[in-house]
Amino acid sequence: MDVTDWVKLAAFIGAGLSMGFGAIGSGAGEGIVGSKACEGMGRQPAVADELLRTMLVGQAVAESTGIYSLVVALLLLFRDFSVVRVIEVPAFLAAGLCMGLGAIGPGVGEGIVGGKACEAIARNPETSPVIVRTMLVGQAVAESTGIYALVVSLLLIFVI
Amino acid sequence: MEGIGKVSQWVFHLGGMRIELNSATLLMTWLIMGLILVFTVLATRRREMVPGPWQHLSELLVGWIKDLCVDALGEQWGKRYYPLICALFIFLLLCNWIGIIPYMDEPTKDLNTTLGLGIMGFFIAHGTAIWVKGPKTYITEYFKPIFFLMPLNVVGELAKVVSISFRLFGNIMGGSIIIIVVSYLAYGLILPPFLYAFFGLFVGTIQAFVFTVLTLVYIAVQIR
Repeated sequence: MDVTDWVKLAAFIGAGLSMGFGAIGSGAGEGIVGSKACEGMGRQPAVADELLRTMLVGQAVAESTGIYSLVVALLLLFRDFSVVRVIEVPAFLAAGLCMGLGAIGPGVGEGIVGGKACEAIARNPETSPVIVRTMLVGQAVAESTGIYALVVSLLLIFVI
Repeated sequence: MEGIGKVSQWVFHLGGMRIELNSATLLMTWLIMGLILVFTVLATRRREMVPGPWQHLSELLVGWIKDLCVDALGEQWGKRYYPLICALFIFLLLCNWIGIIPYMDEPTKDLNTTLGLGIMGFFIAHGTAIWVKGPKTYITEYFKPIFFLMPLNVVGELAKVVSISFRLFGNIMGGSIIIIVVSYLAYGLILPPFLYAFFGLFVGTIQAFVFTVLTLVYIAVQIR
């Protein structure tokens, strides 16, 4: 195997690691949001529309670290392999591992925030605008570490 | 597939210096500023007690954002800052939505735009803090609760800029990369328009709102 094959090997393993690990957190988080929304609808059927809207927004935000994982995986898969260097082998492996593992925590955390917001709306429907706003800010802050993982992955892919 | 990571640039040579301008970002930003200008003229020309459609739309939007600002900052500062927050929200909304038109690029797909807006928010928040508290209280707050935590506080403030700008950039760029790859793989007419609607309209609206509210919250944290 020459250098090109090794770099391809690293990029493909990195893409798999990134998307595989990255799917764990977002999946669990979106599941938590969905389950809490079901619970809320059972308790308070009158606010079903409001709950559905909050659930979709909360899940869309909880999914964003999964989208970052997909982006890193696609960038590694569809790379131009005509000019390669040996240093790219560890860099691509590390990029995949970084984004994959880094996506787990924020995904679950954002899911918990979204789930509790659904629960709170079912308990007290009058305050739903404030709850949705607080949910978005809380999810945004919980996502910060996932964004740092994305920054490090992009640096490893493009700058090294 | 050559759409990934491609940046169209104008390159100038000015007195030995090489100047690179991202042409798509610049053109789209100017186009959006023009659109906002047209919208503002339509909304404020011929104002009446019974509002027309444009006036009604703009009154809804401005009133909603004003309530948001007054909630977060209080009566006095909310009224002072809501034009800025309102302009930021409308600009980001149009930036994220313009990608659904073929051959148009989102300016927020370029890190320069989002990082510029993030740094602007940083300076506004800290300038307000110095204005409200005075320089001495502002500096001593970095040495709380214990003086050697000062570097951590400074890094925490700088990390806010990185996270707010990379969140918008990552979501919009991720959406456009996924659309490019799916269009390349599927050659379809059904899936790509659906993805445009999801990433352009839905995620774009949420991320524009998140960016605006976070800027507002950063200002509010500094004032209190």
